[in-house]
Amino acid sequence: MKIKKCLLVSIFSLLFVPFTLLAQGPLDPSLLLKPATDAWPTYHGDYSGRHYSTLKQINLSNVKGLTLAWIHRVNLNSAGAIIGGEGPDSALTGGGGMEFGGPSIKAMPLMVNGVLYFAMPDHAFAVDARTGRQIWHFAWKTRGGIHIGNRGMGMYGNYLFFETPDNYVVSLDARTGKERWHKLIADVKQEYFSTPAPLIIRNHVIIGMGGDSLDVPGWLESRDPETGEIQWKWYSTPRKGEPGFETWPDEYSAAHGGGMPWQPPTYDPELNLLYVPTGNPNPVMAGQSRNGDNLWTASIVALNPDTGKLVWYFQCSPHDTHDWDATQVPVLFDGQINGQPRKLMAQACRNGFFFLLDRTNGKNILSKPFIESLNWHKGIDEKGQPIRDPEKDPQIAGVLVSPSSDGATNWPAPSFNPDTGLFYVGTSQSYAMFYLTDTDPHPQGYGAAERGVGGVGNYLRAIDYKTGKIAWKHSTLIGAQGLLSTAGRLLFGSDGAGNFVAYDPLTGKPLWHAGLTANPSNAPETYLLDGRQYVVVGAGDSLYAFVLQR
Amino acid sequence: MKGMKAIVIVTFLVGVTALVGAKQPLAGHPPAPQGGGPRFDQAAVERGQQLFVAQCGFCHGSNATGGQSGPDLIRSVLVMDDEDGKELGEFLKVGRPEKGMPKFDWSREQARDVATFLHQRITAAANRGSYKILNVLVGDAKAGEAFFNGAGKCNTCHSPTGDLQGVGSKYDPVMLQGRIVMPRGRGGFGPRRGRGMGEGQDLRSFPTVTVTLPAGQSFTGLLLLITDFNVVLRDDAGVLRSFTRDGDTPKVQVKDPLQAHIDMLSIWKDSDLHNMTAYLVTLK
Repeated sequence: MKIKKCLLVSIFSLLFVPFTLLAQGPLDPSLLLKPATDAWPTYHGDYSGRHYSTLKQINLSNVKGLTLAWIHRVNLNSAGAIIGGEGPDSALTGGGGMEFGGPSIKAMPLMVNGVLYFAMPDHAFAVDARTGRQIWHFAWKTRGGIHIGNRGMGMYGNYLFFETPDNYVVSLDARTGKERWHKLIADVKQEYFSTPAPLIIRNHVIIGMGGDSLDVPGWLESRDPETGEIQWKWYSTPRKGEPGFETWPDEYSAAHGGGMPWQPPTYDPELNLLYVPTGNPNPVMAGQSRNGDNLWTASIVALNPDTGKLVWYFQCSPHDTHDWDATQVPVLFDGQINGQPRKLMAQACRNGFFFLLDRTNGKNILSKPFIESLNWHKGIDEKGQPIRDPEKDPQIAGVLVSPSSDGATNWPAPSFNPDTGLFYVGTSQSYAMFYLTDTDPHPQGYGAAERGVGGVGNYLRAIDYKTGKIAWKHSTLIGAQGLLSTAGRLLFGSDGAGNFVAYDPLTGKPLWHAGLTANPSNAPETYLLDGRQYVVVGAGDSLYAFVLQR
Repeated sequence: MKGMKAIVIVTFLVGVTALVGAKQPLAGHPPAPQGGGPRFDQAAVERGQQLFVAQCGFCHGSNATGGQSGPDLIRSVLVMDDEDGKELGEFLKVGRPEKGMPKFDWSREQARDVATFLHQRITAAANRGSYKILNVLVGDAKAGEAFFNGAGKCNTCHSPTGDLQGVGSKYDPVMLQGRIVMPRGRGGFGPRRGRGMGEGQDLRSFPTVTVTLPAGQSFTGLLLLITDFNVVLRDDAGVLRSFTRDGDTPKVQVKDPLQAHIDMLSIWKDSDLHNMTAYLVTLK
């Protein structure tokens, strides 16, 4: 069977038959319900956001034999690409994240039936997971927007979905790369831009967006995978009459209060709860026009994915004034607390706190800083929420705050390993001066300026989820970074200097590394293909696949 | 260019910004723009502003952020979606009488000028790179001097008549404050991260490293890179030397001349910082 397939492929190649005839197929939705082994079917690999794989073909004892299988360098040239989009033809010359230091793969490629699917700003690709060769390329004529990144795609049967910097959700046929439809999500002239990877739950395509240079509302929406029509829309700040409205001075400030949900959410199929981490409030750093806690910004909210109705919330940064959105992965796992089995959620938040919640009801179990330099809080309130020190709000003459607005960590995925009970996260202990620049009672946009002034070290850290204590930390040149841990007693990450590294998850000791042309720009992923375990990581403009020597 | 690369890497050692962090911003929103963006006809902006203040300011506020009865136009979707005064001009012909917004008989040019003024205001609000830091001189110079010679122990390395002579004339107060905290990298409040960082800076403020081989031979120079696997330096003769690391072999000793500033990060009180700024400004 295998030989037959190889032969067929060779013949097709000789005849210049497009690669689209390769073995491709629809996504079996049941794959989304279990930890991935022979697929990576969604941004986080599964609904839990653990970035943990049960695969152990590659493990502590043989990882030194890990070797390169292939490199795929993206080609952003639109010649030969399938073209879509509402912008001018001249918009086809860039994309990919070019103006932010060069093209960068921040997406987690989906791997379904031997094909990798991923997106970059204005571009989508299908790549043969066996060879690293391009199958198709879709290029988008943009109308503008900030091209900072794209986290990838969602898949439903044979349909793919991704978002664009000019705020469209685009659906492609996975087999051909041809467009099925595109729908406008938000107005690019209001400074919205869209980076998230859509999440598929049954027949819901869950979509968020980003953008807070101006004071605009944020929301999450669900669309029909067949038609693209809106099923529901959840605003991340309350409207008049809704609970939480009392945490804003008035209707106007709430309606312009931001809270962009730009991290792909996680989901518990048993509880049927969607866990959405939300962005910072607006105006971003000048809080004088929005006294109060500013719900549900900088929070984790649990929604019913069928209706978009809020079930519970936990606010990570009440009345944030440092751009510390809470859009870090809410990681779902089951564990033991005081001898009792519990359904848990853990988040290492941008503000520097590790939060452990009961994910059935949002009740706080543990709140603890995971960096030593944190200097902005005055304890924890009865709900487990940090109490901010108002003296560390941006001031005209400047205040010194750690972490900086880039945070103690950021969007790159952490990893939870059930074998070690440790939560792994890339961290930074940065400092910055924050200056209030807009003293108007109604400030606009950011309302303050920030200047970085160094820091006291970046570390890859392992956090004991039961106590919040740091089990080990290992010095790195990078702060936040994407991680993957496996049942093979391995933790994959990077050192910030362009090395892709396998660490011992119990000690943080580096076991294996490979120097890439750029530092990894997404989180590593793994899957079994033809009986071989692959580890794939994106670094700048290239994907790298590693396998064991045979 | 080569030198710059070295500086960029070295700067990471103090945790300013990681390699990739510098090139690929982490945050959900991008770093502040470096200029660029839309350009506005300044004469049109000024004409528009005059007309706006005279005819719209009473309701919408003279800076368009809202007034007694009119909404904030920096946040107006109608204004944001307007192209070159076209939509705004059409709207003004009718107004919104049910809400007390009268119509205006403006020419096409007048509508365009006011629209240009408003678009310029919106762009300025969105462009945090252009925000102007206000007055940072709120501290007490005398208290700053006492801190300098006392609790701050600044006089261990610095002197107002030596290295800091004239420092109050050399830098503006905001830059001076940044350099008090961290006199290199972004701490100097120079070019923003990733672009020209460290350019023109004094290399003497960057870390050095001594690498000692098992046989006893040792090399000292500017630290360019240190990871679990490698250490790279540039010696006084300008020669780059690269070593493989295997645990504690070879022996590596990093010396950071600014260690005292790094240690101070967790110690500073904002009031001490304000007082120190007020004091150093007097060193003309």
